[in-house]
Amino acid sequence: MNRTSRFTRARQLTSTVLPGRRPDGHAELVARRLRTIADARGTGMLPLSGRTEGAIYFRDGRVVYAESSRTPGPAAHPEQAPGLPPLSRITAILAVAEPTVDAALELLSARSRPARFRASRIPAADPAPGISLEALLAEVTRRQRVLAQLAAVVTADTALARNPAISPESVRASALQRALLVRVRPGSTPRDLAWDLSRSVFGTTAEVYRLLVRQLLSVAGTPPRAPGAAGAVPGTGLAVMSFVRAART
Amino acid sequence: MIIDEAEALLDPVSDIDGFLLACLVDASTGMVLASREDQDDLSLPTAAAAAADIANVLALLTGELPMDGLEDVMVTFRRQLYVIRLVRQDPEPRILLLVILDRTRVNLAMARHEIRNFCASFAA
Repeated sequence: MNRTSRFTRARQLTSTVLPGRRPDGHAELVARRLRTIADARGTGMLPLSGRTEGAIYFRDGRVVYAESSRTPGPAAHPEQAPGLPPLSRITAILAVAEPTVDAALELLSARSRPARFRASRIPAADPAPGISLEALLAEVTRRQRVLAQLAAVVTADTALARNPAISPESVRASALQRALLVRVRPGSTPRDLAWDLSRSVFGTTAEVYRLLVRQLLSVAGTPPRAPGAAGAVPGTGLAVMSFVRAART
Repeated sequence: MIIDEAEALLDPVSDIDGFLLACLVDASTGMVLASREDQDDLSLPTAAAAAADIANVLALLTGELPMDGLEDVMVTFRRQLYVIRLVRQDPEPRILLLVILDRTRVNLAMARHEIRNFCASFAA
């Protein structure tokens, strides 16, 4: 190997772990690796390492689970059993699918590097029927677009503050929003709150954005405004987060 | 679509006259959980995303105004009718059912009744 190719190789390796690098096809490389496993109907675990460590588990080429060091795993949920109403079945599947998608989003966005695929290592408890790899990759891409929309306002690691003018108990809000408001301490981030509530980091970040829009939370270091004040999120307007735009771009 | 096996759960909705498309969407994340469609002209990801966006805007409204318990939303286009309904009122997860119907073939009252019954049996 000559000097140039060694330098190029080193740059490729570091570019997968250092933040702020320009896109260099890393996501496509990982996706190709995942597709190879899916096409071969592989069963086992693909470890990934880098800024975020984790693994993606396959059974017969379908993704049955994913975990990462920066996203919570599944919360306690009712087991799937025959005779459950359809909605309970879906809720039980979602209880595993949501953290799986959340972990995959983190692993693929953090440019983690895949290691050797370890055949036949799958989680012992595995109630999920599995997600097709293409559906998972499409959902990860959609979520990356949503997070790109939100990045100007809030990220999973933005420090937050609760509006001191409001009392969480008296606010008209959903149970989840109230649970988030109660847990916000100075400097809490959406990721901290997600771990506190065993919810997905992506879902929590989106919910935090909705609370920012309502002025119930603010980004730490910015002056709080009265709830309902005109202008919503300062300088951004109400329509920062749009699932439609994320689906179409 | 994340949950392949859930497609069959949408069978009763696909029997509604004028049925074009149905899907279950997690309103919080916008993720499509299951879908069923009778034609390819409609973009499932865009329609599902629109349903989640509409539900979230209305949730903002209910936070600011003295309203309670959003049940369903109907959006009428020249040729289609969009019905968006919360599958159940429980707080989490907020799962929406979106049904798109052909206006020239649908009986609105019957369709709404059948969608309401479907959601009731779905959660029961």
